[in-house]
Amino acid sequence: MQRLKLAEMAQSGSRTIIQKAAGTGRGGRNTVAHRILIIDDEDDIREVAALSLETVAGWEVVTASSGAQGLAKAAEYQPEAILLDVMMPGMDGPTTFRELRKNPATARIPVLLLTAKVQSSDQRRFADLGVAAVLFKPFDPLTLATQIAGVLGWE
Amino acid sequence: MDPLAQASMVEALDRMWARFLPQMLERVAILESASAALANGNLNVEQRGAANSAAHKLAGVLGTFGLTKGTVLAREAEILYSGEQETDPESAQRLGSIAAQLRVLVEQRR
Repeated sequence: MQRLKLAEMAQSGSRTIIQKAAGTGRGGRNTVAHRILIIDDEDDIREVAALSLETVAGWEVVTASSGAQGLAKAAEYQPEAILLDVMMPGMDGPTTFRELRKNPATARIPVLLLTAKVQSSDQRRFADLGVAAVLFKPFDPLTLATQIAGVLGWE
Repeated sequence: MDPLAQASMVEALDRMWARFLPQMLERVAILESASAALANGNLNVEQRGAANSAAHKLAGVLGTFGLTKGTVLAREAEILYSGEQETDPESAQRLGSIAAQLRVLVEQRR
């Protein structure tokens, strides 16, 4: 049954099937259907991350492909956490984070930065922003949810 | 994660890879063009920037699809195209080799 649902999802590119099943861990565990917003301009990264969080953890995922779109979706959907890419055209991750903090409706949502930058100077700069965590690309789709849950104390 | 769920996830990832393969190959092609231009001594600023960006994106995504070596190679290319250091003839040769290796890795992933 699970295999069928996943196959359908992968073929259709739709996440609806998975979202309906939120609350039942596909990894054989009972899970809480957390709601998370992914903001990343790269469609491959965004879709793999969404697939991972929905499939492995059964979370509800909302996605945005730009900082501006992310700000709007964060205010509208009130996610429990935001996974935010650092390097995006237009409004980059740090700027988006600061804008989220300025809005009372989104100011308290934990933000995890997602970056492919591995230099220690970049890491320090990102950590100094006040985000909940800095996660690195490439991530393991099988363990991404566990990583996020660990940081946010969702375990 | 139980084995069945894990297998399903891997299957879903493989389908996703197939969908994004043209995008991956396009990024590799940018690196190939840039390394060829570099070898001929006519790499311009726009090409360097495009190569740096393509390498950055490949570095960020290849490992997620299991191509860890691809991430390592792409990251090296990103640094060499970053403009933070002079691109000498040796680097030009290395960047050509990286682009060729990335093509093989990306094309051979199933």
